Amino acid sequence: MRRGIAIDSRMCMSCHCCFTACKDEHCGYDTALSKRQPMMGQFWINIQEWERGDSSRLIKTATVPTPCSHCQTPACMAAATVKDAVYKRPDGIVIIDPEKAKGQRQIVDACPIGAIYWNEEYDIPQKCTMCAELLDDPNYMSYLPARLKVPRCVEACPNHALIFGDLDDPESEICKVIAANRVTQLEPLEGRETNVIHLNIPTVFLAGTVYYPRETEEVCIGAKVKLTCRETGETHETVTNYFGDWEIEWLPKRKTFGIEISMDGYKPALYTAFTDVDHYVDMTYLEKA
Amino acid sequence: MTEKVTHSICVGGPIAIHTVDGVIRRIRPIVFDDKDPKGWVINARGKKYTPLRKSSPAFIALTEKNRVYSYDRIRYPMIREDFEETPDGQNRNTDNRGKSGYRRATWDEALNLVARETKRIQGAYGKEAVTAITSSHHSWGLLGYKLSCFGRFFRMLGYTAIMDNPDSWEGFTWGAPHTYGYYWRLGGPESFDMLEDALQNVETMTMWSHDPDTTRGGYAGNESTMWRHWLDDMGVQFIYIDPFNNFSSVKQADKWFGPRPGTDAALCEGIAYVWLTEGTYDKEYLAKHAHRFDEWADYILGKGVDRKPKTPSWCESETGIPAADIKALARRWAGTKTMGGSGLRGGFGGVCRTANGTEFARIMIQLFAMQGMGKPGQNMWSASTGAPMDYNFWFGGYSDPLSQISNQPIADHTAVNCVNQKLYRPNLPDAILEGHYEWYGDGFCGGGVDIEFTEHIYPEPGCSKVHMFWRYGGTFMGTMLDTNKWVRMYRSPELEFVVNQDIHFHGEARFADVILPACTNLERYDIGEYCNSGNGGYQSHSQTGCSWQIIVFQNKAIEPLWESQSDYWIFSQVAERLGWGDEFTEGRTELDWCKRFWEKSDLCDKISWEDFTKKGYYIAGVPENWERHYGFRWFAEGYPCDTPNHKPFQEEGKLGTFTGKFEFVSESLLYYAPDDEARTPVATYKHSWEGHHSIKARKYPFHLISPHPRFDYHTQHNSSTPWLWEIRENRKYINGNPYLVARIHPKKAKEKGIKDGDLVLLFNERGSVVCVARVTYRVEENTIHAYGSSPIYNPVLPGETSMDIGGCVNLLVPGKLMGSMVPGMAPNSTMMDICKYEGPIPDSQLFEHKLDMVAKEADPDAETCMDIILGHGFESIQEKAKKAYLQKQKEAK
Repeated sequence: MRRGIAIDSRMCMSCHCCFTACKDEHCGYDTALSKRQPMMGQFWINIQEWERGDSSRLIKTATVPTPCSHCQTPACMAAATVKDAVYKRPDGIVIIDPEKAKGQRQIVDACPIGAIYWNEEYDIPQKCTMCAELLDDPNYMSYLPARLKVPRCVEACPNHALIFGDLDDPESEICKVIAANRVTQLEPLEGRETNVIHLNIPTVFLAGTVYYPRETEEVCIGAKVKLTCRETGETHETVTNYFGDWEIEWLPKRKTFGIEISMDGYKPALYTAFTDVDHYVDMTYLEKA
Repeated sequence: MTEKVTHSICVGGPIAIHTVDGVIRRIRPIVFDDKDPKGWVINARGKKYTPLRKSSPAFIALTEKNRVYSYDRIRYPMIREDFEETPDGQNRNTDNRGKSGYRRATWDEALNLVARETKRIQGAYGKEAVTAITSSHHSWGLLGYKLSCFGRFFRMLGYTAIMDNPDSWEGFTWGAPHTYGYYWRLGGPESFDMLEDALQNVETMTMWSHDPDTTRGGYAGNESTMWRHWLDDMGVQFIYIDPFNNFSSVKQADKWFGPRPGTDAALCEGIAYVWLTEGTYDKEYLAKHAHRFDEWADYILGKGVDRKPKTPSWCESETGIPAADIKALARRWAGTKTMGGSGLRGGFGGVCRTANGTEFARIMIQLFAMQGMGKPGQNMWSASTGAPMDYNFWFGGYSDPLSQISNQPIADHTAVNCVNQKLYRPNLPDAILEGHYEWYGDGFCGGGVDIEFTEHIYPEPGCSKVHMFWRYGGTFMGTMLDTNKWVRMYRSPELEFVVNQDIHFHGEARFADVILPACTNLERYDIGEYCNSGNGGYQSHSQTGCSWQIIVFQNKAIEPLWESQSDYWIFSQVAERLGWGDEFTEGRTELDWCKRFWEKSDLCDKISWEDFTKKGYYIAGVPENWERHYGFRWFAEGYPCDTPNHKPFQEEGKLGTFTGKFEFVSESLLYYAPDDEARTPVATYKHSWEGHHSIKARKYPFHLISPHPRFDYHTQHNSSTPWLWEIRENRKYINGNPYLVARIHPKKAKEKGIKDGDLVLLFNERGSVVCVARVTYRVEENTIHAYGSSPIYNPVLPGETSMDIGGCVNLLVPGKLMGSMVPGMAPNSTMMDICKYEGPIPDSQLFEHKLDMVAKEADPDAETCMDIILGHGFESIQEKAKKAYLQKQKEAK
């Protein structure tokens, strides 16, 4: 049995319920497995929220709740200089021992995603425990069926964006959700196997709007848009919608794309864009051929 | 270790509270067990939809523990240190209110003083010389709610009531009834069973001035967030119209339009022009259901008095939205099954709190009429209401007179206020300072269109001015208008005596002569239903914004902390001293009153009192094949209205207008207010009296919009919980103060040398507020966005109308009401400027020392405000409480 959490950035609306539930559980209380989290300054589930787009014409946000990933081969465990200062349980949850990890600041720095925080007062590194102390406690929520006992963040989520379960059970909800969605590992953890599986973290989009010649004051519906990657040759095609908008998501990062916009009777419009960040390419006004 | 689980409801929704050894340990959503009813199932487009088996409270609800143990709790009764109880009420150093510190008083001293002053002032001037007001909600629960507990006390006392303005509904309350009726819903539409309709039929959603994942259905927490995911996943197109690309929009919009604030009515007119010229509207429907449509159509087409066609080009020049995009929007709306509306429930939205909010509301409704409102998939519905509900089960909401302790049948005797004189909340300071005030309307005018035009004057002939002000719950510094006026009001010697009764030492509490510490609803008994504002009251069946109908026994989790007491106790104590304590309480304890609500509703038929109080909540399930009553469908399809809470004339197929039809020329306005300059018989787009066409705009070129907040609700949460200050989109904690985020477009930021994270000053002639800049493309270029409703008010010179570092942007908004006959507030018609702030900032919130002094005097080991904010103070308070609890348990054995 491997306990894990699937985190779906598409469903996440950055409502901050998970963030608050985690703080509610851990700020100010020692548990069987962890020392108390300070009132401010640590984010055992950190909601990464960033705006995508370089124009008011199209802005989206990516919302990625980011707890510890509970890696299979944790970098923090490798960085510990005391045995069992960091240990991985049979269920896959990675725990920092608040006694044995004392003074080991390097454990904080070792985490590729910055999910470990240094507690100056207690001289210890701290992080998400996947609420293992609650999962282990037979008296916690004993008035409800056991299957309803989940980490606080998962329980508080109203968007079905956090799913908890057994990664080794293909019939479990978590495995079904993972199978139905795009798995997107956090970039710094590329190649690592983790018990926290991120889904649908966007890459980069290119977008724009196509209009008929300016004086017509009309959007162009059905214009063909073709993207060709200079580096890999891959192509993406779409047509403009009822607002004249075109948008292509999930593009590879840091690549050069040639863009050709074409509509019968009009000169093609050509652009080049580099996918360093999300770009709104242009409000394209077609010219008669 | 003893752990108990109780439940409560707060404005963010229902919660389960774990109390361990006498200390609140954790706050969770209510997760249902296997015995709780099954959820409803909606069949739509080949799939089945059913809600998650738990309550989905907002994140703010999960901070209720912090509200209880907050650094700014008022721990003891307090009296202003330089207050003098002079026999004639003069020379009481009122000028120092807001500046002075406080000394601790006993309950007896404080209550006796309040009783003495009440008697003196009512004896000297008349009963009407006492006035009092609450905020919208400082705590949830039928017993503690203002119309209940506060209402009973003050009506029995006799006092000048202060009417609330319909703050969330202004343009709809004062405008919409003149187009389509629904005055009993404050101008909002009926959304019964609309969720099913939408899931089955809708293709496009126009979300006007609407951020459902922020406004969360009002008190419906995050219940409807899954509904919008379902619609999104079906391919329904979401179009958001808002000067701010808001938090729902930026995740789910297929298209965002950012019109210049105040120009939304122009956008409506541009859309109408496209439909009229292209013939893409429901002529047959209008022929049957519209009154004097052609005259309005002529106006749009340029055949009206102004001879100006409302072309998309013209519309672009007003709104800033490209003409081509406006045409595309109009065609999408007309060409698909479209639902939508303004704000949560369709008749809200920041847009309606603008100078010409009434005109927007009316024209938007006219647009829905043009597309056959009420047909399947075509209606005013904004995706945050209308879940299936069993309307045969009745449990009252707070605005139902049948669910208030001020009235029978809950009470044995109804409390009746013997004073007719009124005041009006938005301009209370003007009335006090000027000694004269006139206005129209009764605020919440659900009783009829005529009620909008009742005439009021203060003081009423033969009545005294008010000289005592009892302020209960919450603070208006962040929610009312031109709120520096409230500072001036408090310092006026006209107010001989000021009482404040609150849980936290918020902005207005710091102006009081006497402060009475109330406790949170986790420290007292109450009972309530999730998001139920009233089934016959002003927002009938608002609980359809929730996936579940949950009635909660709001059990006491812990005893009131320090010396705080329940509001009910406080009122009963004063009533006792005034000689009518028994009449007030009718011999009932708070728990007795809670049982009355159970008894006088359908709840007692469903579950015994013992079971209800033991389990802590009851879920009213929806029958598998529940009765449908689609909102507005009866009108479109011509059968007698069958929706809950309808008027008899609706059964004859009529709307609540004079003609029973959509009035494109309003007969009710022609009758009641033909010369109204703000709300004309034909609704038209007009330039805001404070907007980009104003003379003022030359000096103050930015619009300020201050919508309903994402990170708070009714000023209850932001001040108590430091975690909220760590949310980047909310605030930034710098040097002991949490600065509010203000959003500015990158182009303007560059012009002003402002970088993301800089401190900035928002200012105009009314005041100034220091915020922290968020530079973002998500705001319309000429707009500054900063959430309203700040509970944190920290003037750098307390007691003066000085710069605020707490984030009360309402200091900048106009006190002028929408029109001479339209008594609505218009905070989103504010012009201001912004600059980088490089001046000094204090190293605290500037009030903590007042609380610390009193706390330390009472207990040398008391935790200071800063201790609590930083964490160890909070831990220590809980440790001490736990010790005391365990000691008590030991002694009991």
